[in-house]
Parts: sequence; structure tokens; C-alpha cells
Amino acid sequence: MTITPVFGDFLGPASKHIAAAVSSRGELPFDAQCGVVGQLDRLVTTLARYLGDLHDEPTLAPRPERNAGTRNAAARLALGRAGQSLHQAAAGVASADAGQAHPVVGHLSAAADYLAAGRDLLQTHFFVDPAGARTGASYWTPVITSGPVTAALLGELAGYAQDLAPWIARLSGARRVGWDKLTSAQLALRSAEPWLQLAGTAIQAAQRAHYPLPARSLLAAIPANAPPPRRPPIPGEPVHELCERIALTAERLRYAAFTLADRSRWPAATSASWRRDALASAITSHGSELILRALAERAGQLSLEADFQAQLHTAACGMARAWKTWCAVTDRWDIVTTGHPRGARPTPVAIEIGDLALQTGRLAYRNPHWTPAYGNASLIRDPAGLAESPSDVITVLAAVHQAADAISRIATADHAAVLDAAADNLLYLPTRLLPDKYDIPHPYAQAPRAYAGALLAAYDTAIDAATHVTTALDDLAAAANAPSSVLAAVRRAATPTEHGQRRQQDQRPTSQPRVLAPLPGRTEQALAKLKIRDPALLLRAAVIDQAACDLVAQAKAAARSRDIVAGPASRLSPAVRHDGDRPSCVASQDIGTARAAQLIKPHPDTITPGTSPGRSHPVTPGRTRRFTR
Amino acid sequence: MPTTSDLEARLRQASSLPEALDAGFDAFEAIRMTARDCQDQVPELFAAFVMAADAAVDGREALTPAPSLPHAIGTEPGSAGTARADASQVADALAALAAVLRDRLTDAAAVADTPDDRAACQDAAEAAGRICQLMTR
Repeated sequence: MTITPVFGDFLGPASKHIAAAVSSRGELPFDAQCGVVGQLDRLVTTLARYLGDLHDEPTLAPRPERNAGTRNAAARLALGRAGQSLHQAAAGVASADAGQAHPVVGHLSAAADYLAAGRDLLQTHFFVDPAGARTGASYWTPVITSGPVTAALLGELAGYAQDLAPWIARLSGARRVGWDKLTSAQLALRSAEPWLQLAGTAIQAAQRAHYPLPARSLLAAIPANAPPPRRPPIPGEPVHELCERIALTAERLRYAAFTLADRSRWPAATSASWRRDALASAITSHGSELILRALAERAGQLSLEADFQAQLHTAACGMARAWKTWCAVTDRWDIVTTGHPRGARPTPVAIEIGDLALQTGRLAYRNPHWTPAYGNASLIRDPAGLAESPSDVITVLAAVHQAADAISRIATADHAAVLDAAADNLLYLPTRLLPDKYDIPHPYAQAPRAYAGALLAAYDTAIDAATHVTTALDDLAAAANAPSSVLAAVRRAATPTEHGQRRQQDQRPTSQPRVLAPLPGRTEQALAKLKIRDPALLLRAAVIDQAACDLVAQAKAAARSRDIVAGPASRLSPAVRHDGDRPSCVASQDIGTARAAQLIKPHPDTITPGTSPGRSHPVTPGRTRRFTR
Repeated sequence: MPTTSDLEARLRQASSLPEALDAGFDAFEAIRMTARDCQDQVPELFAAFVMAADAAVDGREALTPAPSLPHAIGTEPGSAGTARADASQVADALAALAAVLRDRLTDAAAVADTPDDRAACQDAAEAAGRICQLMTR
């Protein structure tokens, strides 16, 4: 089984290697000292890049107090200064492999490697488009940029800096030893040490001041942005393997739902795909209800806590409501359609969501070869057969939680796509299903407002039910410390600003994360002229200089924006507006879904002949009576 | 309200492509409505009935743009007359109807003159085959 690496796979070993390195007490031979300088240079550079990433990531506006990125400027500057000292010394070492054989150097080298790999992993959740805009590339992006996870990361970085600083102070020789008695490597370390110490303090201050609740476990759980490979269902799998498979399918669906969020619009996706998603959601939720009821019964048999039993029962009731609301959506899709364009293929979500329904069914029913077909119908699993022990109860609960979470995300993406289709008048009815009084010589008629509104209202209700039951399962998973409890943490970390953040990310130009090795600014130069060498004062000066630079850059950007706004009128002409800028599109992201139907563009209250998908005019009678393919 | 037997007879008696398409459209719609009526009766058969209804929508949508499908002439399709039957009997009736539908549409595809008619019949026959598979005990 392929396991996707997570950030913790790199963070943990990096911490251990740093701890092992700083536990070294003895004096190091010169060769090893040079090696330490070289590896510390790499380490400090990587730490600075982490901080640079935080700086470059979009803030979670409008809550400036959560913006750690701009508040760790002092730490970045301090690391930059430490790196400057180390880098110059490292460059002077004859061989890049100096001292590699020494265990301490090896530990530092490994720590630098792990931290660099961990940063690469985090970067897979972002991409930069050719215009330089930095955009989220996965559903984890809002988690990575969230306050608690940023706090956890800052905490780790601060810890490293604070562990390393006193150690290199020892390495660089006792303070009473004169500069002339030190080796070049010791000189570099002595020069870097106060900056590293300051960096650690500054990072920790940023973390403590703004992020009182770090979420280290969530940080460690961040996976590489790569969906696990598909594992089609195999008949006859035991319960625990089915649960693993459900978690894997759910993860793939979460990735697909995010990736397709901007591409699930018509014509890339049609009503056939959305209908299939709703159908699979109904079957999965139906099976999940049966599983939760069996778990509640089993929890009673195993004398698990009464509260836990009650929560399972409540979740089962919520799931019953959920599948009924999904049936209401499929009922609406029975009539409404985007047409049947030849060659239209189901979306990846629509292809794979059937796997989730099948796997959930095999968990709910006794027949290990269960399929939805009558011929494979089966009695519901015996509770003891579903979960023998209390830990099995939690394993199965986690599988249901995974499925519900994936369905919830898909529902949100599909709803947005259907809302767009409705706003663009792309929903139709087959005219043959209309009462006789309508004599329309076309195969389809545009769906009246009431039909589109009813479909969207059905989605509203289904999403509400799905959210409700997912929240109940979040609580259950957290209470039981189920493996899926990370989903609840992900949702809590990402929910408040996910949507707004994505838009903000799309608009925001960015620079590559950089390691600061700035030239001294005016204030710092002034201190240098006064022979001030106190790192704290120099750092304050550097921060002031950096703030001045930032202010000037901000003012320049504002001036550019003003010029653009005041520029030729053609800049704002509709001809050059992007589709995504349409008021209806933008507004549809901001308003509650219940009001969505009112946003639909001028729309028939009565039935009118349809236009073909892909055409802007009604189908010509006599020429063709069907959709263009 | 036509019975499944009525619909089967109509499919068998269709002597031209438009008649076959017309009867096929109504048969899919009848299957859809009947399956929806039954989907909540037995939990163990929920998935079978909802998927059958979905396949019926696929079949109906496949036929809708067929050039030879006649314009509706006042015969609103309705649920097949199986209201008093239990879920097993309904499934049997739908499986039988779907089998006839699949065979008739496969035949129609073979004689269709235009590629669009042929493709519509083939897609609809495939959907009928799925219904048959879902409803067969």
C-alpha cells in the first residue's frame, strides 16, 4: 500500500537530529567545526525560507492580529544576519564535505535535509501562475496558512533556533577566550550565535503573541499534495480493509473535488455527472445510516459510554435525514437536465464516487460481494460482525466520517457549479414531459425559474443536512480520538476564511520566498557609524529599515493602482472583463445559497423553447430538433 | 396508467423507428417513476431502485435528442401500474420490461439510418441493460 508522506515524517526526524547534535558536549576538531558551519548555514537558510514562506503567504484578513507573516520580520532579519556570518565562513571552507564523517556534522546535515524536504512538501500545496499570483493548490492550503498551524510551525522553528544558539555559543569557545585565539569557524559561530538567539526569541514572541493554541498534530499531519492511487473495490474484503479503502477513496475524492472546483462547470461537467454525484451520495449516506445504527447497538453491547452511544444514535438520525435530502436532489435531476452532449464524459469525481457507494454498501451489508443490484442484495451486517471490539467501533466510525466529509465537499463544489448553470440559463426540461398545453417543437425547453429554484433549494437542504451530520461525526471522532479526527481539525482550521482566502490568493502577486541577507539600511548604518554592536539594537534598526522599505513598496503599489483606475475607460469595458468578474458570479459567492435562485439571470417564468447547449439561439425547427453534439 | 405488460406489448408492436423510440421513451419514464415509488420500501433494495431510476433517466436522455423521436402527442407517460405489488414483484416486472426495451432498442439501432439515431438507440439500450441487471434477482 502506498502511503503519502506527511510533514511529520520530516519534522520528527529533523527535531531528533538537531537534539542529537546539540547534545554533543565535547570540543570538535577543526575539520568538524568547519562542517558544523557549513551545515548550520544550510539549516539557517532553510529556517529563513520557512519564515519567508509565511511572509509571502496570504494573510487571513480581515483579522490582522492573526497575521504572523508580517510580524516575524524581525526573526527573518535576525536569521538573515546569522546566515550571512555562516555563509561567508562556509564559502571559505575548502571542501563542502568538510567534517562530514563527524557524527555532529552528520546530524546537522540530516536535519537540514529533512527540513528542506518538509518545506518542499508544504510548497506542493501552492502554485505560482505565470503572472506571479500565488494560489492554493489543495484543500490543505487554508489549513497550512491558518493561525493555529502557522503557530505550530513557528513554535517548531523557534525551538530549533533556541536549541542551536546556546550550543553554538559553547562551540565557539568561552567568552573569556579572545578573538585572536579562535579558529575561523569559531569566529563565524560566535558571530552568528546572538542573531540565532534573537531569531528564536522573535519567532517565539510572534507565536505566543498571536497564536495561543498551536496545533502541532495538525501540522504533522499535512500530507504531500498528491492523491493516493485509486484502488478499485475488491469483493470479499474484511471490515478493516474496507475501512482503509473508504478512507483512501474519500481522500481521492477530496482532491478531485478541489481540483475540479473551477473546472466542474458546464460544459466540462453536465447534469449527468452532478446527478451521479447526488445518487452516490444518497446510497453512501443510506449505507452510513445503517452502519451508524449498528455501531450504536454494538456500543451498547460493549457497554461503551452512554454519551457515546447517544452521539452515535444522533449521527445515525442525521445520516437518515441526509440520504433523504440527497434523494430529493436526484428527484429534481430526474426532470431537469443540461442536455446530453455527445462525447461528454463524467467528471473524475462522478467516476470515483461510485467506489465510495460500493465500499460503504459492503461495510453495511453482510454479502461481501454486495453491489447495488437486486441479485446481490443482502441483509444488514450483524453489529458484532461489523465491530468486534471497541477499537473496531472507532475504526468503522472513522470510515463513515471519511465518507461523510468527502460527500460534504463534493456537494459544495457541485452546488456552486449548478448555481452557475442556473445563472447562465443552461438548465432544461424535456418537452415530452410537459403537459399537452405546451406545444413546443423542440426536444428541450428552458427550465422555468421554479424548477431551477427547486433544484437549488434541494441542494441547499442536502448541504445543510450533510454539514450537520459531518459536524456530528467530527465531534464523535474527536471524542473517540478516531484516526479521522484530523478531518475535524482541518475543517476548523480552514473554514472561517477558506473562500475569501482563495479569492484573495488568486489576486495577490507574490515574490519567491527569499532568504534575507540585506544590506544595512540607513538606520543600521547610522548605528554602525556609532560603533554599536549590540545585536538587539542592530536588529531594531534593521526592522525599522525594513519597515521603511515595505512602506515605500506599498505606496508604489497604491500609486500604480490609482493610475490604473484613472486610466483609459477601455480598461473597464465589458469586452475585456473576465467571466469570473461578472457581477452574478461574484455575487453568487457572497450571498447565502437560499437566495441563489433570485440571482438567476432574466429567466422564464413560463416555459420557452430551449437553446442548444453551446448555442445562443433556439434550435431551428426543420433543421434539427436536437442538441448539437 | 399503463401496465408494464402494456408497455412491453407496445415496444414489441412498434413497427418503425419513430414508434420504437416513442415507446422506448415512455417505457424509460415509466421505469423511472415506478422505481422512485419503490425505493423506500425495503432498505436492502434501496440502492437497486435508486440506481434503476437513474439508469432510466440516462436512457430517456439518450433518446430525447434522437432525430426520429416523434414530438409528444398528448400521451403523458406515467408510472407503470404496479402500485399494489411488493418490491420483489415490481423488480421482476421492471427487469422484464427493461429486457424487452434493451432488445428492441438494440434492433432499432441496427436499422437506424442516421448516426444520431443509431447512437441514441445504442446508448439507451445500454441504459436498459443496466436496469435489467439491477432489477434481476
